[in-house]
Amino acid sequence: MMLLAQYTIIFASVLSLVALGGCFSEHSGVINLGLEGIMVMGALGGAVAMNLFPSTNAFVMILTTVVVAVIFGMIYSVLLAFACINLKADQTLIGTAMNMLGTAVATVVVRSINTSTDPNNVSTTLQYVDQKKLFLVNINGFEFNWFMIIALVILVASYFVLYKTRFGLRLRACGENPQAAASVGINVYKMRWSGVLISGFLGGLGGIVYIMAGVSEWKFEVGVAGFGFLSLAVMIFGQWKPHRIALAALLFGFFRALSNVYTGFDFLAALNIPSQFYNMLPYIISLVVLAFTSKNSAAPKAEGIPYDKGTR
Amino acid sequence: MVHQHFKLVQCFTVLDNIILGVEETKHGFLEKDEARKKVVALSEKYGLKVDPDALIQDITVGMQQRTEILKMLYRDNDILIFDEPTAVLTPQEIEELMQIMKNLAKEGKSILFISHKLNEIMEVADRVTVLRRGKYIGTVNVADTNENELSRMMVGRDVQLVVDKTPAQPKDIVLDVENMTVASKLHNNNAVKHVSFNVRQGEIVCIAGIDGNGQTELIYGITGLEPVKEGKIIIDGKDVTNLSIRERSAEMSHIPEDRQKHGLILEYPLDYNMVLERYWQPEFTSKGGFLKKDAIRKYSDELIEKYDVRSSQGSDTIARSMSGGNQQKAIVAREMSKEHKLLVAVQPTRGLDVGAIEFIHHQIIASRDAGDAVLLVSLELEEVMNLSDRILVMYEGEIVGELDPKKITTEELGLYMAGAKRNTSSKEAE
Amino acid sequence: MNQTKKSFLERPGVQAVGAALICVVLGLLIGFIVLSLINPAGAGEAIMTILLNFMTRATTAAQLKALGNTLAKTAPLLMCALSVCFCYKVGLFNIGAPGQYEAGACAALFAALALNLPWYVCILFAAVAGALLGAVSGILKAYRNVNEVISGIMLNWITLYICNMVLSSEAVKDSTSPYSKDLSQANPSSIIPSAGLGNLFSGNKAVTIAIPLAIIAAIVVWVILNKTKFGYELKATGYNKEGARYAGMKEKRNIIVTLIIGGALAGLGAAFLYLTNYTKWETTATSVPGMGFNGIAATFLGGLNPIGTIFASFFIQSITDGGSLIDRMIYPSQISDLISGIIIYLCGFTLFFKYIMTKNKAKRAEKKIKTEKTKEGGNA
Repeated sequence: MMLLAQYTIIFASVLSLVALGGCFSEHSGVINLGLEGIMVMGALGGAVAMNLFPSTNAFVMILTTVVVAVIFGMIYSVLLAFACINLKADQTLIGTAMNMLGTAVATVVVRSINTSTDPNNVSTTLQYVDQKKLFLVNINGFEFNWFMIIALVILVASYFVLYKTRFGLRLRACGENPQAAASVGINVYKMRWSGVLISGFLGGLGGIVYIMAGVSEWKFEVGVAGFGFLSLAVMIFGQWKPHRIALAALLFGFFRALSNVYTGFDFLAALNIPSQFYNMLPYIISLVVLAFTSKNSAAPKAEGIPYDKGTR
Repeated sequence: MVHQHFKLVQCFTVLDNIILGVEETKHGFLEKDEARKKVVALSEKYGLKVDPDALIQDITVGMQQRTEILKMLYRDNDILIFDEPTAVLTPQEIEELMQIMKNLAKEGKSILFISHKLNEIMEVADRVTVLRRGKYIGTVNVADTNENELSRMMVGRDVQLVVDKTPAQPKDIVLDVENMTVASKLHNNNAVKHVSFNVRQGEIVCIAGIDGNGQTELIYGITGLEPVKEGKIIIDGKDVTNLSIRERSAEMSHIPEDRQKHGLILEYPLDYNMVLERYWQPEFTSKGGFLKKDAIRKYSDELIEKYDVRSSQGSDTIARSMSGGNQQKAIVAREMSKEHKLLVAVQPTRGLDVGAIEFIHHQIIASRDAGDAVLLVSLELEEVMNLSDRILVMYEGEIVGELDPKKITTEELGLYMAGAKRNTSSKEAE
Repeated sequence: MNQTKKSFLERPGVQAVGAALICVVLGLLIGFIVLSLINPAGAGEAIMTILLNFMTRATTAAQLKALGNTLAKTAPLLMCALSVCFCYKVGLFNIGAPGQYEAGACAALFAALALNLPWYVCILFAAVAGALLGAVSGILKAYRNVNEVISGIMLNWITLYICNMVLSSEAVKDSTSPYSKDLSQANPSSIIPSAGLGNLFSGNKAVTIAIPLAIIAAIVVWVILNKTKFGYELKATGYNKEGARYAGMKEKRNIIVTLIIGGALAGLGAAFLYLTNYTKWETTATSVPGMGFNGIAATFLGGLNPIGTIFASFFIQSITDGGSLIDRMIYPSQISDLISGIIIYLCGFTLFFKYIMTKNKAKRAEKKIKTEKTKEGGNA
């Protein structure tokens, strides 16, 4: 039971972070389908940091990992920003390209790192067993991960930034009616760049949290197994609002956690459902949820439409 | 600047829209109290009634425009630009706006008023500058000129401002709408409430009213773009209420309100657009399902010639690259040439220059004289008074008046449009 | 009206090929740079291996056999690319193609191994399975406004697990390995016939009539899109859903039909591969097969033109195969995936450049006509 709660919260943290990233980007008007790729890059950054700069001090290790992860994520998101905002490329296509590219790049990099340390190691796996322990705090048997707090703080901060600050108001204006924002002197291009960079930041962070959730090594060949898209589903289900995203994340996180721990529950094990079914569950739930909530979706009105100063 | 197409964020409040771009902040967090006080003060000083906490998507078009004006005043601008501000106002509101503009001028502000409505220009402006096709034509003092001279400057030739038309001789009923109700997409009520009216052969019936009173939904219900909750629609004796758009359009032509959204496929070339509603007929598609491209091209070339539709590459031109006026002419060409007994024309001259407007008015009159029934929807009072044989005024989803353009004044029409007056229309009126 | 003559560089066909070539060259260049970073010594040779693929083999016979393998895998790739291409023309991004591909594989192998059916029936099963999956995305989009990208991805993963489950059954799975059974042992009639084509490629049994069938499919798709009433409706719906409605088209039906066709194409693609007995399905697969995603790359590289897609598919498959030939002790074979990814990314820009070029030219031409008319003493 404890394990289920742990997994639920950590997966929910990942989903929230990435969904918030998508949220900022879409509120500014740019659909970010490349979140999978950004997550992979962030994960790569964090894993590399843990391997290249190992430290025994928890605070230093956490800081280094997070900083490198978000930097990787942000740099990668520049690809999306430049293509979609400045060159007005199709946002769906660029996002897909970034996903494919992200996994490929990460695989190539990890392979090369492994091969350079040991020519016989051609795997795409990075390990961080010792480093991971620094992130955990055991309170009464509940394995508590610092990332959970980070996710919560960011969730609350996002709410304030989006709805209570000048930046948030202007950002949302760019996603709803960029011509209106431009007419009062707001630089839509800059705002959209901010939105995408923030999504790079949060996506990268989500990536590193994901590969550390419950495991101490990651095989980069598989990317992030569709988690980026699950986060998008969370974002849509949460109707682009941080407080609802949190609830949606918990729901989806729960189902994802279940596939890890169902063997620990006697009554579930007795049902003899194949493990593949549990793997499918989060995706099925997403589809069902989306089927019911997409009809009256309140997506930012101008998202996906490249902003062109000349159009009225 | 008060824009022709409002630059407002639909899901923000009135207050948020006004302060956007010039927000007061404390450490980055929004401070709205001072702003709210200022907005309320301005609103009272200039008589611009608004609700600061209402969402833009929930308020009327009139209040939206007042929000736009307050945006300008809030910024203490000295130069105020009004771009086609009167399209969405009743005659009384237009009067008030004219007065507000004159007062602002008296305070020392400079006002740039962009309009194509000659009567308004004559009333409120001191000087007029005419631009034609991007070129400066001239500046005159309003006191020294008149409407005819202005229109000649605008178009380059004499324009017939008042339409020549013989009296209508209506015959059988072509369109019969009984007790039609259409739900509203934005609010929880009905946009069209139990509306009944008819249109006969050889007459032009115009639905007049302020934008947003149900005209759009009325037309959508008749043409099939929206489902009808209640009521019946009968075209040429056939009950089309539950028929698909294609089925009910057998005898109906529709010049839509939004030419880019409904009227054309902008990425298609002109000839494909010309057969947009007829491509499936045997004349243009062979039995095996293949398009007869030669036939399509020939048809398109004929229409281009007959209706003088101008484009860079003729039938090959991609519709998106054509000017608004020529796009509209193409739609008019297509709809007029299609077989029909009923012509539905919604704001057919919106955004067009005086010359194009003259052309389209002629086409509509010609259609009526050839025996068609014409249902016109217009927001331009002049067009309503000039073109129609019978006026039906819509207010908040209902028909509140059936008027004879020859017998009423613009002021009276305005009262009906504002909901201040009503007479019940009855089908037995003829 | 006078038709303005288009200069050579402005013809859309030339633009498309040119844009594709630029993407390819840039992609290979970046790939080369990455290879050099890993190990400068062998980088040049590696990139040439990727590019030349089968031609690096020692003998002509070996070259032909390797070419045969590439062609055998081009057929399914082409089908996936056609699936994405067809749907894109209608304004739908069929990222569910990998899932429809999986469904096709599942159905084909199940029909072959568990039901012992001949190949032409198995192919049908595959097409129907893919079509059904496409229909789910289509219905969700048309009636519930669910974005087809997200529904596609979800279905990709769901189908993967279902596939694994179904193909793990005793009839289908080889008892000693995690792979599905060898078709030539279990049900030879389910293998797609070679019709002598295999002999052209040094007796490569993987070369079957699937390849010409795929090419025919590409031509059929092209004809449908450009010459038929159906294609006119689909493209109109893709360009402007509202305008299509106004014109009386049934846009909901069109969306669903399009995804059904797209699904069938991808499903057939899977049959074209697995029913040649060239590969077997790995029932413990943890990620969605790459064929579907490579199809996206091939479509955009082919300029979203069914005929162009034929060549683009061959190229993408060729560099993928070439990638598996490089020295794996030094370089990861995923280099080809990297290059494919870069190519799609770059393809995103070329659409924009083409659009800009057409837009400006048309506007300038219209202005030119207007000024000519006013010179003649014309008016509004």
